[in-house]
Formats: sequence, structure tokens, C-alpha cells
Amino acid sequence: MPSSLSNPLRLGLRQERVISPQCLIIFGASGDLTHRKLIPALFELHLQRRIPSEFAVVGCARRPWTDQEFKERMKAKLGDQISGNEKEWEHFSNYLFYEPVDLQQNDHVVRLSKRLNEIDKLQATHGNKTFYLSVSPNFYGSGCKALKAAGLIDDPKKSRVVIEKPFGRDYSSAKKLNRIVQSCADESQIYRIDHYLGKETVQNILVMRFANTIFEPIWNRNYISSVQITSSETVGVEDRAGYYESSGALRDMLQNHLTQMLAVIAMEPPGKFEPEAIRNEKAKVLQASKLADEHEPWNSCVRGQYAKGGNNLKKLKGYRDEDGVNLNSTTETYIATKVFIDNWRWQGVPFYLRTGKRLPKRLGEIVLTFKDVPVHLFESTIINPAPNQLILRIQPNEGATFKFEVKSPGSGMKSRPVEMEFSYDESFGEPSDEGYVRLLADAMLSDPTLFTRSDEVEAAWKLYTPLIELMENAPWKLPIYKYESMTWGPPESDQLLSKDNIFWRRP
Amino acid sequence: MKPQLTLQTPLELPHQEISNYLNQLWISEDEDNSGANTFTLMVWQPAWLEQCLVQSGLIRGPITGTLSPEIIRVAKKLIIDQGLSHTTSLNSEELLNLLKENLSNNDYEDLRGQFFESSISTLNPRRLITLAPTLNNKSEIKTFVSAYCPLSDSTVTQPICGDLVVIRGDSNSINKKGLKIIDKLSIKDLPTWLWWNGNLDESQEIFNYFTNYGVRLIIDTANGSPKRCLKILDDSIRLKKAINDLNWLRLKSWRESLAMIFDPPSRRPILDHVSDIDIDIAEGNFLQALFLISWISDKLEWLFSKIDIHGELIKIEFKRNNGEKISSAINLVPLGNPSIHSGQVIGLRLISKISEVQKNNTCVILGCESVECMRLEAGGMADMQLIEQVVPNAFSSSESDVSKLLASSRGNTSPLFENTINVAVQIFNSMNK
Repeated sequence: MPSSLSNPLRLGLRQERVISPQCLIIFGASGDLTHRKLIPALFELHLQRRIPSEFAVVGCARRPWTDQEFKERMKAKLGDQISGNEKEWEHFSNYLFYEPVDLQQNDHVVRLSKRLNEIDKLQATHGNKTFYLSVSPNFYGSGCKALKAAGLIDDPKKSRVVIEKPFGRDYSSAKKLNRIVQSCADESQIYRIDHYLGKETVQNILVMRFANTIFEPIWNRNYISSVQITSSETVGVEDRAGYYESSGALRDMLQNHLTQMLAVIAMEPPGKFEPEAIRNEKAKVLQASKLADEHEPWNSCVRGQYAKGGNNLKKLKGYRDEDGVNLNSTTETYIATKVFIDNWRWQGVPFYLRTGKRLPKRLGEIVLTFKDVPVHLFESTIINPAPNQLILRIQPNEGATFKFEVKSPGSGMKSRPVEMEFSYDESFGEPSDEGYVRLLADAMLSDPTLFTRSDEVEAAWKLYTPLIELMENAPWKLPIYKYESMTWGPPESDQLLSKDNIFWRRP
Repeated sequence: MKPQLTLQTPLELPHQEISNYLNQLWISEDEDNSGANTFTLMVWQPAWLEQCLVQSGLIRGPITGTLSPEIIRVAKKLIIDQGLSHTTSLNSEELLNLLKENLSNNDYEDLRGQFFESSISTLNPRRLITLAPTLNNKSEIKTFVSAYCPLSDSTVTQPICGDLVVIRGDSNSINKKGLKIIDKLSIKDLPTWLWWNGNLDESQEIFNYFTNYGVRLIIDTANGSPKRCLKILDDSIRLKKAINDLNWLRLKSWRESLAMIFDPPSRRPILDHVSDIDIDIAEGNFLQALFLISWISDKLEWLFSKIDIHGELIKIEFKRNNGEKISSAINLVPLGNPSIHSGQVIGLRLISKISEVQKNNTCVILGCESVECMRLEAGGMADMQLIEQVVPNAFSSSESDVSKLLASSRGNTSPLFENTINVAVQIFNSMNK
């Protein structure tokens, strides 16, 4: 009997693109990302029958593991994710190989090259290679140079390089890194990954905007009064203090994930749904973006750092008390900023972006607030009629809500706000893939649509350059405000909006 | 009109010289420019209707192998003017026989093999071989050859080129000589597709040659007798040969719309209580409806019980694992309009009785946009919860459908179609017992 848990009529209808014979080489295979995201994503692709039989995953790191050890470690790390699919894992693990490699050692890379040739013949992967640099950002440039020197990325049609974030630390380092990487490989071979773009809900913004006639005519300064983009986490720094101390919320989240969402929400319609057409529009809108007050950038940004909090049952440490964090750390765990886009569509519309750790909810959302009606004909049941809002929920409870006014029941003519809901769960009933599932498949399919191009990365860094310069040269102008753990950031961030008579949405 | 693929008129060459000529064509100093590394597409392109219309002076030539709007308009008018049944298919033998009575002996330009929709040419077939049988029964084999480089708006450094070969002659000479030429034209290591763009009942020797040749087949079961079509499908599956059917492909929007209705988890229990399914088809070949009901029954794990035919009504009964009965019916509905593809599904009604309490029952109606669905809405179902979806059934050209298959197929038969065929064959065989 068909189960009510899955739609039997849907089975087999979704035509997914199948990856061509491929060898995926992961540098930094002993790191967290490999067992937390990459191998689970590849296993998911295997379960979806999207991986060809001519396939190999070669883990590379300094540790002297064997193929067998690598397989066992991955199996142990994945744990519950395999349960129920043990046979499939046995099959999948046949694709796993391991080669101890230090990318800084020439002889290691030469040995790797020979091993890849052997694996290519063994697995019949037709020379197609995707190199995934899941290593420290300091090694992106030298890693690419090592691959180039060994001739591993000479063929632009058969080799690709995927590079994790952060791509650079600021505008000049990103520009320099782009130059190095582009001297080793063609831009078409470089896939700068931002896993937010792999999220179904972020891609849905494009579909909502450009597959419907009702949104685009009002998607501009004539109808929209402000846009808020929020990405909040409930967790603290956890075991990433080493990395986080040198990055902070601006480099970790704002410059990449939130700015990519800004680009997708604000870009012009592309002429075609083709990678370069889309990336051109994203780059253009980022190039037109600027801090609300470029001359006095401290007026456009509020930084915060979580202090202790919690309750009697669970006490939470402040950021400076976390393991591995400097007692006098000035790293921001919260940042809110106000941005304008200097183009015809968005002139004068403020975009507020905020992200932080130890906030009350884990969520990602974009809120478009529409302008007030010109004349209030009806009295509202609340103090003032609420402006229309379109809320796009990126995570969790993915979907969209549209808030609008209706007549409140009764003999009078009072208005009150109601919500119209779209929920992925209720409409489709199936969980969407993790961002890495989509992006790994796209990289191996040579589809760069959801990867950031060099000019996008540079434009995103350039946007925040005044803030980075302040943080480095005059940090007192951009002070760190403390906020209690599990609150919505420092009160000063509310003032960033209240000056415009706007408030953060409390999700 | 479709874009002409070749900028120069293909060269007529004796068939013995073609292989050599093509080999020379790709000898180049530039190693990267040795032709597209894609696939060979062979097309059986009789274009009988177009040939008849041109030769009887009802439309102007040249013959291109395209089912143009003009051909459709003239043929539909002819059907009505000549007093044929309004539901006569444009591919029907009745219409062709009528046209053959008034053929002139004038020469006409035949450009078949030179015109392809850009949806196909942009896939860069390495070799396009067109088999162009002529109406004239005494046409000796003629062969033409040319290179082509489809223009692309993407920023590739140089165009990816292919070649095309046209083998023209009467069916008999194609069978005797043409197939031997094809033998020499195969490109090692590249897959070969055959698109049989004609009736599956005709030129069976030629068709069988290709099925033994190991090509990936693209057929259209709207164009052939159900018995012959199902035999071809069944044989291909048993022999594990890749086969694709444009008639099945055209069902895609029906399958997708029906699945879409049951995506919300709250609606899925409805599927456990389906009691009736009615499918309306435009009069003619009932295979597409048989595929649709077979697909539904396969997905919902129903077992076929029996089939009854009452005039133009085909009743098929299934059972669930728990013994509950599901009645389905295929109704042939006259549309008063000549069809392009015979027997296309135009409406579907699915009734689910969850309980005797009527408010819990559901009636799902899918109707084809072009013919509405008033007939299916009748029947005392108005008081049931009604979910109505309209399926756009816009006419897309066969070439566009073929290009979708070429772009997406992995060279094997879709497992979904394979399971459907197994059920359809079981039902059909039971009908003929």
C-alpha cells in the first residue's frame, strides 16, 4: 500500500542531472567539513542514484591513513546517517580512496598525480577531476600553484577547482588571491563555494521573482520601503575559536552568505537563465552597493559580542570566556549594517543586514516591507495599519509569508493584518537537499550558476572595506557592544533602524 | 520554417565515395576541430503527408520534412472538405490514399535532411543521417553529404561541427542498398539514435534492421497500431534495448500534474482510497491512455484484474492488496477536429471514497486546456470536494520532443516507462485473449 509519508506518484518523475564519470579529490580530508558535509552530501547523491558507477573520491591530507582507514573513519563519523542504508554504504565506500599529501611538498603532489592516474584507470573516470580545497585559506593560492605545476588542472574541460570560503580577508587580499588562482586555471574552472546559494529557498527567490508576474512590477523603490536580511545562530563559537578569532561575523557571514542573499534579492532580471547572465547581474548589483554612510561608516554598522546568559538550568558562557578565545578579544560575534544600492531600482531603499551568534533563534529570513498606503481610509484594530510585508524564510520552516490588511469581522470597518502562508513542508512534504548536495553536484557537472565569480567576491569585499579599515585602524570608532546571550543583539543595533523609524522584525 | 542547417547545398556523391569523403572532411591540422564528440542521429523521414500535398499542388515545395502550420491547416481543411471523419488523424492512411489519387508527375525540390530545429542542432549531433523514402516507387538511391556548424550564442572559441548524410530513394531501394551504406557510416565509440518519424506499421523490414543494429530507438506509438507498437516496446524491454516513445513523453504534463496534487502530505491518504478513474481521449489510438492508467496502477501497487470492451468504452479493473476494487474506464470522445497525434489524453477524473461520509470524499479532475473538462465534471460529483487542475497541452513539435530526449536520456529505457509497459502489455494481452 502506498504510504502517506511519500507521494508514490512522484517517484521517478523528478529528472535529476546525472554526473558524468568523475574523480573528486578532497584536500583537507581529515578535517571537519569532509565528514560533516562533503561525504554525507556525496552519499546522499549516491542514494539518489545521481553518481555514476565510474566514480572515485580521493581523500588527501597529511595524516598517513590508508584507503581502508579513511573508509572506516568516514563510516564511524557518519554514524546514524548510514543506518538503514548499510548496503548502500558498502557500495558507496568502494569509491573512497586516500592518499597522504602535503600540498607544499612537490614530491607529494607528483606521487598524488601518479595515484590519480591509477585510480582514473581503475574507476574509468575518463580523466575528469574536481579538486576540492577544504584547507586553511592560507593555502588556497599555493594549493592551486601546486596543482598547476603537476599539470593536474591543465585541461579546462576536464578539471575544476572548488574553493571554500573565506576567499580572502579583505578586498586587496581577495584581489591578490584571484590573480594567483586565475594564473593557474581558467575562471571557468574555478568554483568559489557559498553553501547558502545551494539552499533551495535561496534559489527559490529567483523563481519567485522571475517566474511570476505579480512580484517584479512592485520589486523596486516605488513600492518597497526597506529590506531586512537576517541570519541568526543560537550556538556560540563552539570549537571554532581558532578560526573565529581571526574572522569574526563580518568575514564569516556578512561578506559572503548575507551579501549573496542581498545580490539575489536585489539583482536585475537576467536575460537568460544561464550562469554568466545571472552572475553578471549579481556582480552589477554588488558593485552598485555601498554603506549607507560611506564618509562616516561607523554610522552604518553596529558590532556586538555575546556576554554570558542563559538561566539557572543552563548557564551560557560569554564569548571571552570560551576556550581558545582571547580574554580581551575584540572579535565581533554580531554585526548589523545598513546598505544602499545606487541604481534606478533601489535608490533610497535601505537594506539592513544582521547576523550573530547566541541569538534566540536559528533562522535565515529576508523581509521586504512595502510602503504605507497613501491614505488611511480605515481605522486599524491595532494602533496603526501594519505595512504589507513579504517574508521569505530561508531556514527553518522554509517558505514565505505575505502580510496584508483585511476587514476585521464586525459591524465596523476596521482593518487588521493577516498572513498568507506558503510552506515547503505543507506543499511538497519532502525535505530539500543540503546546500552541499546541490553544489557538489553542480561543480562536478561544470555548472557555475550557484558559485561566486571573481568580480562578485571582490565587489562584496569592497563594499565592507570602510568597515574593515575602521576595525583595523580605528576600532574605537566601531566599538564592540556586549549583548546577553540569547537576546537579539545589542540595543545599539535597534538604533541603527529606529533612526529611520523602522524596527527589526522579531521572528 | 525551421532553420536550414547547411549553408551550402549538400554535395551529391556516389554512395561508394561517402565514407572516404567524410573521413577526408575531418582531417585537419587543428586536432581540436575533428568534429563533435557527441552522437549519431539517424532519422527515418518519410514525410508522406508533405510529399503528397506538394505533389498534388496543395502546398508549394520544397519538401523539408517539417510538419509546418501550413501543412496542418491544409490537411485539416482537406479532411473536412472531403467528408472524412472529423477526427481523422493527419497521419492516417485514409487521408494519404485520398491524396495519392491526384498526384502530379512534376519534379519537386526535396530538401529533407537539411532542415532541423535549433533544439536538435544545438546538441551538436556528430552525424545526422536522414533516410528519405520517396513516393515514387522507382527512385534509385541518391546520396548527399555536407558538413554543418550550428551557430551558438554562447561564447565558445570555435563552432563544434558535424556532418550530415541524406539517403534518398524509394523504400525498396533504401532497404536493399541504403542500409548497406549506413553500415559504413557508423562512428565507433559514439552512441547512435534512430528516430522513426513515421508510422510503425510501415517498412517493417527497415525498422527491424535497426532494432537488430543496436541503436537507441525513438518512436511515436500514437502513429501505429497498438498491437505492433506494444510488441516493439515489449521486445525492446525483454532484449534490454533502449527505447523512448514520444507518446509517453507527451504524457509528462499529465503525470506531473497528477503527482503535484498529491505532494502536500495532507492529501496523500486520498490515494489509498481511489475507487474510480475515468480517462477521456481524443478518438483514435488508445495507447496513451493505457500508459497513463498503467503508470498509475504501477505506482499505487494495484493488480490488474480484468478488461471489458463495450463499443467505444474500455473498462479496466484493478485490485488493491487489501482486495478493494478500482474501476477505470477509457472513453473515446469525438472532438470534431482532426488530430495531429492520434488518441491524446484530454481529461482525467479520479474519485476517492475515504468513507461513506461524503464530505471526506474527493474528486480530482484534470482537463486538457484546449477542450475543457465539462464532460468529466458531470456525474453527480459536484457535492464532493473538487480539486481541479488544468493541464496545458500545448502542441510542441516532435523535433523539440526528440531534442529533450536526446539531451536527457542516459541511453537506457526510463525505468518508469519500462514498468508502465509491463503493465500495459499485460492488460493488452488480456484484451486479446
